[in-house]
Amino acid sequence: MAPPLGARPGWSRRAQYSLFFSFLLALASLAVGLIMLAMSLVAPASYNVVRGAALDATAPVTGALSEVVTTIRGLGSGAGNYWDAARQNGKLKAQRARMFRRMIEAKAIAQENRQLKAALQLRERSERAVASGRIVGSSFESLRRFAVLSVGTSDGVRAGMPVRAPDGLIGRVVDAGTMASRVLLISDRANIVPARILRNGMAAISTGRGDGTVDLRPLEVGRNPFRRGDIVVTSGTGGLYPPLVPIARVVRLDDDGAIAVPLADPSDASFAVVEAPYERAAIEAAKEAR
Amino acid sequence: MVRAGLGTRGKLERGPRPYATALPPASVVAASALAILPIVTQLGWYPDFGFVMLIAWRLLRGDVWPAWWAAPLGFANDLLTASPIGLSVSLWTAAMLALDLSDRRTMWRDYWVEWALAVALIAVGEWAHWKIAALMGAPTELRSIAPRVIIAALCFPLAAWAVARIDRWRLGR
Repeated sequence: MAPPLGARPGWSRRAQYSLFFSFLLALASLAVGLIMLAMSLVAPASYNVVRGAALDATAPVTGALSEVVTTIRGLGSGAGNYWDAARQNGKLKAQRARMFRRMIEAKAIAQENRQLKAALQLRERSERAVASGRIVGSSFESLRRFAVLSVGTSDGVRAGMPVRAPDGLIGRVVDAGTMASRVLLISDRANIVPARILRNGMAAISTGRGDGTVDLRPLEVGRNPFRRGDIVVTSGTGGLYPPLVPIARVVRLDDDGAIAVPLADPSDASFAVVEAPYERAAIEAAKEAR
Repeated sequence: MVRAGLGTRGKLERGPRPYATALPPASVVAASALAILPIVTQLGWYPDFGFVMLIAWRLLRGDVWPAWWAAPLGFANDLLTASPIGLSVSLWTAAMLALDLSDRRTMWRDYWVEWALAVALIAVGEWAHWKIAALMGAPTELRSIAPRVIIAALCFPLAAWAVARIDRWRLGR
């Protein structure tokens, strides 16, 4: 291949000037880009409106496509279920019988719990669900772990609110558009959740690792309190996440903590519920922290 | 030239499409817009499609757009992929300027040199994303970007092929 002629486009003054000015313009836009980047580092809240608008523009497309994908997947699994109906029926019946026995046990425990609580005169805090939506997209191109939720400010969602699925905690809202919002997943490195081990109630801290798992550290230094298979739940400390929401299950121990897999898989959860922050002041703090 | 008229039909009166200059930026925005596909994963290993496409266009043709066009394209990418606003603006413009410099320095280019340039730019871009994520409170280990760089490097030939096809089509060749 012949060597390029360099930046000089020929003898035309017009072409030379236009090349020079486009170079100046490129330098200027580089400077503008750096200033914008500095602003999103120092004052991320200044872009809330722009980011919300972008979310509103793209989320309907994502939602519609996700609808199509879900339908196709549903057709596939529906056909599969029909094929295997007899064996599945037997299995489900056995499972139902098992569940029924467990349910009776649970009812007895719940009754006992009520009596004990009445004795202790504990006040039950009711969970305040703000809105429920579907998880339609995620930041699969990024190092950060975000998901797009199909509810926005028109449903009452505000930045900072916790999001959970039936299986467990998903994360918290960071950007809210009118019709969609962006959720910081618990597997993101920036999401720190105060937690405790369900087995013995020991306090711990859950931090995302960016690859779909979370890192658990005990608050008290000493012997590693985790065991494989331990369930970790939110502790309610800090007031943002409501207490007793399941977070993750421990899969591997390391020297002073453990690595756990979130119980609620955003790609699997059909619905996610946005709740009001457990304590009102937490939402302001969360906004500041972002 | 005359013989072309004797060939198969459709060879005559071919030329650039009316929107030929708008097609390359449009294809870059379309590549950025792949980020709105309804893919929910816990692993962010997909490449920055817009950036790969941008580099592929710029390496195919030095005059496909003035260097500053990368800034608005980067802004669109920031909004579509939800990266910190300003990151792609500055990164993409810097990449264009770097390629302008490399055009003046390299004596010859072949496919391998282009691939090496692309991989270098992709690696620097991933490092910048990693650094900014760390500054925004999400520090991870540096090796966590390795799979992303490798996957993006392997995606570059695909992007180069797509860009070459679009280029032939838009110029009516």
